[in-house]
Amino acid sequence: MIMEIVGILLSAILTENFILVKFYGICPFMGVSKKTDTALGMGMAVTFVMALASAACWAVNEWILTALSLEYMQTVAFILVIAAIVQVVEMFLKKSVPALYQALGVYLPLITTNCAVLGVALVNVQSGYSFLLSVLNGAAGGVGFTIAIVLFSSIRERLDESDVPESFRGFPIALIAAGLLALAFMGFSGLSIA
Amino acid sequence: MDVKKMFKEGLLTKNPVLVQLLGMCSTLAITTSLFNGIGMGLSVTIILICSNVLISALRKVIPAQIRIAAYIVIIATFVTIVDLLLQAFLPELSENLGVFIPLIVVNCIILGRAEAFASRNGVLASALDGLTQGIGYTAALVIMCVVRELLGSGTFGGGILGGGEGIRILPEEVSALLMIQPVGGFLTLGVLIAGAQWLVRHLEKRKQEAVKK
Amino acid sequence: MKSRVSIPRLALTLLLITALAAGALSAVNAITQERIAAIEQEKILEAISQVLPDGEDAQEVALSGNTGLVQAVYASASGYAVQVAPSGFKDTITLMVGVSPEGAVLAISVVSHSETAGLGAVCAADTTAGQRFRDSFVGLTGSVAVSKDGGEADTLTGATITSRAVAEGVSAALAWVAENG
Repeated sequence: MIMEIVGILLSAILTENFILVKFYGICPFMGVSKKTDTALGMGMAVTFVMALASAACWAVNEWILTALSLEYMQTVAFILVIAAIVQVVEMFLKKSVPALYQALGVYLPLITTNCAVLGVALVNVQSGYSFLLSVLNGAAGGVGFTIAIVLFSSIRERLDESDVPESFRGFPIALIAAGLLALAFMGFSGLSIA
Repeated sequence: MDVKKMFKEGLLTKNPVLVQLLGMCSTLAITTSLFNGIGMGLSVTIILICSNVLISALRKVIPAQIRIAAYIVIIATFVTIVDLLLQAFLPELSENLGVFIPLIVVNCIILGRAEAFASRNGVLASALDGLTQGIGYTAALVIMCVVRELLGSGTFGGGILGGGEGIRILPEEVSALLMIQPVGGFLTLGVLIAGAQWLVRHLEKRKQEAVKK
Repeated sequence: MKSRVSIPRLALTLLLITALAAGALSAVNAITQERIAAIEQEKILEAISQVLPDGEDAQEVALSGNTGLVQAVYASASGYAVQVAPSGFKDTITLMVGVSPEGAVLAISVVSHSETAGLGAVCAADTTAGQRFRDSFVGLTGSVAVSKDGGEADTLTGATITSRAVAEGVSAALAWVAENG
């Protein structure tokens, strides 16, 4: 059991990093990584929603979809659950933790269309994870996302000051930097606990 | 309605991937062989046309407050239909694309076009918008696939030509496997977008010069 | 733009859309369900035929207790087709291993996997390299190891973990036959 948990953490954060290895959540990764502090805010918001969505989608799948053998409704149900969670989290933060809402506010609606969230919910079901492992996988995936986006944003802050050929300015050079970061993460790929 | 202009916008000047930078998850993840690229491109195009048409037809019925939720349900339904049909009739493609088929739901291109175009325009125009944007997306995927496959496996047309192995262009020894790994996806897309930016700027310059004359 | 629409009407509209969506999906599901199940079944049958000369006649053997990597076993006159699922580089690799009654590998076939394209995925590829790798297991007995670990089976370039996983699966299949065959 403990080995399984460590294995999930290790693979979700490093070897199977959601962004750099699995390509989930590239849009926010490229979109909100210009500054390190906003990247960190986005990362935290995503981590929170991913853990919550893993839990809710697991419950919906187990108690509603599987129980009524409506597995083919998975995608529709999950995306609705995720959209609802994002809404609720937004309203909740606005009322009770205004400081955090101020920090994350702008990014929250974006999370609905972050494929890392729907991705982790679908992968949890496909891998047949239990409730606890699903939540863990969601949270660990979020941490992996945060690490990647924060690392990437510090690279981009430096890129801003460098002299880049005209056509490569902005996105293209950022993508190439992301490629090199992915190359670095490939170094983790042999890592396994056995 | 300027059909020619819409095609030009979809393919180049407003290409969803190369200029609007949408839907990059799938663009990076599945472009390892031509078969995957075309399959994914066509799936997205079909879903995009269907969702654009339906959302445009319902644009006066859906209240503004719940439009995003309604769009998501409509899109997710079409995605699931395509997913089931692929599993039943093209199992090989379905296996290759895996979780990225259901993930079309959150492909920003589809929701983006629903919100920016279909919710404001007529059914026919929306269908055409879906077609042109979808073709633009497919074109970008196909270019990615051809480049990555050629450099990564040294073949062309993997999954379709040469009995599924693709036609070998470069000898096996010189292929850089890195190119069909994540790294190659980022690098290829980066260079491709740079190329598109250069081309768009170049075209604009020519237009300005023509105007001057 | 800001028209006041009552909450019940919002909920009702959304409910209606979702209900229509559910209806459409259940219709498509009804059409495709059987075909999808048949394709799954066919894949297993095809894998059995690939590893046993008289695979069409193979009958499923009932398993009991904890069978480890072994998922299913099919038996025919020429031997056993053992379905094993060792952990590969990314996910489990589902293999069908044909084993003769004497306990030697007849052939192996990869049913499903999600190994890295170009590296580990070669183990399942319909190419000469893939065939050579799978053929290197034929005739082996007992505990199978890849060349990198001093064994007789090939190791795929850049995919040691995948190769080891296949060897582990084949060993498990052989062990099952040795014990139960």
